[in-house]
Amino acid sequence: MRVNVEAAERSNRVASDDVALLYEAFVSQDPAAAIQVVERVRSSGVPQQLLFDVLYVPAMSLLGSAWAEGAIDEVVFTQASVVAEQIGSFVMPPVARADTGVSVVIGTMHRDRHSVMKDIVASALKEAGYRVNDLGVDVRAPDFLERLDETGSRIVIACAEMLATARAVAGVRDLLAAENRDDVVLLVCGGPFAADPGLARAIGANGVVASAESALKLLARVREELLGEGAA
Amino acid sequence: MTGRRSSQLRVAEELARRGRLSAAVAACYEALAIDDRDPFVHALLGHLMLEGDFYDEAIEASTRSIELDPGCSPAYLALGLAYDRRGGMWDQSVLVWHELAEVVPDLVTAHVQLGEAFAAAGFEQEAVDSWRRALELDPKHSRAQYNLAIAALKREGMSTALPTIRKAGELDPSQDELFFALLGLPAARIEFDAAQVKPERGARLAAAGMLLRREDFFAASDLVGLLLGENPADADALALAAYAYLKQEAANEAMACALRALTYSADLPMALYTLGVVYSRFPGLARHAARVFIALAKAAPQHSLTHVLLAESLLGLQRYGQAKQAYRAAVRLDPACVRARFGLAAVRLTEGAYAEAQWEIRRAAYYDTRRQGTFWSLYDAYAGEADA
Repeated sequence: MRVNVEAAERSNRVASDDVALLYEAFVSQDPAAAIQVVERVRSSGVPQQLLFDVLYVPAMSLLGSAWAEGAIDEVVFTQASVVAEQIGSFVMPPVARADTGVSVVIGTMHRDRHSVMKDIVASALKEAGYRVNDLGVDVRAPDFLERLDETGSRIVIACAEMLATARAVAGVRDLLAAENRDDVVLLVCGGPFAADPGLARAIGANGVVASAESALKLLARVREELLGEGAA
Repeated sequence: MTGRRSSQLRVAEELARRGRLSAAVAACYEALAIDDRDPFVHALLGHLMLEGDFYDEAIEASTRSIELDPGCSPAYLALGLAYDRRGGMWDQSVLVWHELAEVVPDLVTAHVQLGEAFAAAGFEQEAVDSWRRALELDPKHSRAQYNLAIAALKREGMSTALPTIRKAGELDPSQDELFFALLGLPAARIEFDAAQVKPERGARLAAAGMLLRREDFFAASDLVGLLLGENPADADALALAAYAYLKQEAANEAMACALRALTYSADLPMALYTLGVVYSRFPGLARHAARVFIALAKAAPQHSLTHVLLAESLLGLQRYGQAKQAYRAAVRLDPACVRARFGLAAVRLTEGAYAEAQWEIRRAAYYDTRRQGTFWSLYDAYAGEADA
């Protein structure tokens, strides 16, 4: 928290000189000078995710002002915007979420070929920085265990959209117990579990993934409470 | 195909076009009393029954029309829509839309509806093929794009679907209309001479807006230049300039103008709209886009599309629950908002609520096909062939 406060304070101190210099670099069509300004501000301690707001946005606003006041003509405005675009990648906040370091094994149970919810949850987790091992559909219980051993993961999400295959998740829990893998967190996902909250408990699941968003919340809790940061 | 339409049928048509459904139905029955083998009358009756939510009657009348003339395209449309809205008749629905696509091969709606029927029946690849065929006929067909986005969501998740949802949104003319509504322009297009605009700020702003709506960027830029010449801090003029640049794919110029406009007027909806749209084009600026669209939804809460834009930016942040609330706000304001319905369907899919998602898509299809007035365009074309 203290680090964030310090970073914010440093960001607030980005001198208007730097903003003006970036604007000048745009107008004089000098991408190298623009990058120098960005690098100088970054090396002063402003984090990447704040560069856009504290440096780029005010410089672009100056550019808009100069065009509106007639200080620069249409051609210069366009050329300056091209330079602004060229250095955009230097100031953009990072796109990908940081790798959580947590591996998750996900798959749809044997004799069940419903893939939609599994795919949506897997994609949401990948986007949030989890290392997702997607086993696909029609996955037998031993395959979950095998992939856990291969990846060192301690989290399984077993998906099932039919009552019979939902009940079969108990087989995954039994296998984990037989192999002394009580450390593994078994989460379940699918219509039968949403319809009957008691079913997940009955088969020994640790939690129910009711939606993509609940998967993110549940995994965040698992990371914090059961595994500890980076333990998976 | 019968050659001439009876006077009773023409009365029924006139009443139906005016929205007087029960009188039109009565006129149809009068026409049937004279000639019960007229496919026009049965097709029109099918359409009227559908409008009144009498699906079985609509199916019966439309089927009879097709029996009398297998080339009666409006009857296929009414029959397909009746099957879709009745629900649970996807196999029949697929057949009907397939037939319509053969009878009128260039009818984009037939391919889109065929795809939706395939998807509802679980034939995902066939559905995707149909929507792609629709886009070959009309690359700007937003509903086909929304459907492809939903298909991508099912296979690859939201990160793949969201860019397609946004692309479809930009193809949707309602997004541009939002900007002009924020400017305060009337929905009706007014013809005027750009050279005769009064030298007053309000008149120039309105004229520049109308020129932008016509995509006459040069004339609009001249007026915006005059406004900024008088006052370079005119936030409205800067916002118009930002929009003009946005429409010409000059995102950085648009950003510069919108940011400057917002320094003079922090909650100016037009500038917020343009800045938000620019930000949403950059994956790294998803959080920024959400902040801007939150401000836009607060500044102009009466427009359903401001809530849709907010919802889409929230999808980019994986805040699906909040996105659902924003989409619902949009649907409350405009139940016919196709983009909000598809967005809501996407959120419902992330919750595993497949039936609800399908229901939202069906509602979107219903409103979209109705808005296009496809029945009457098919009917008139069919009548034209008969008259010829």
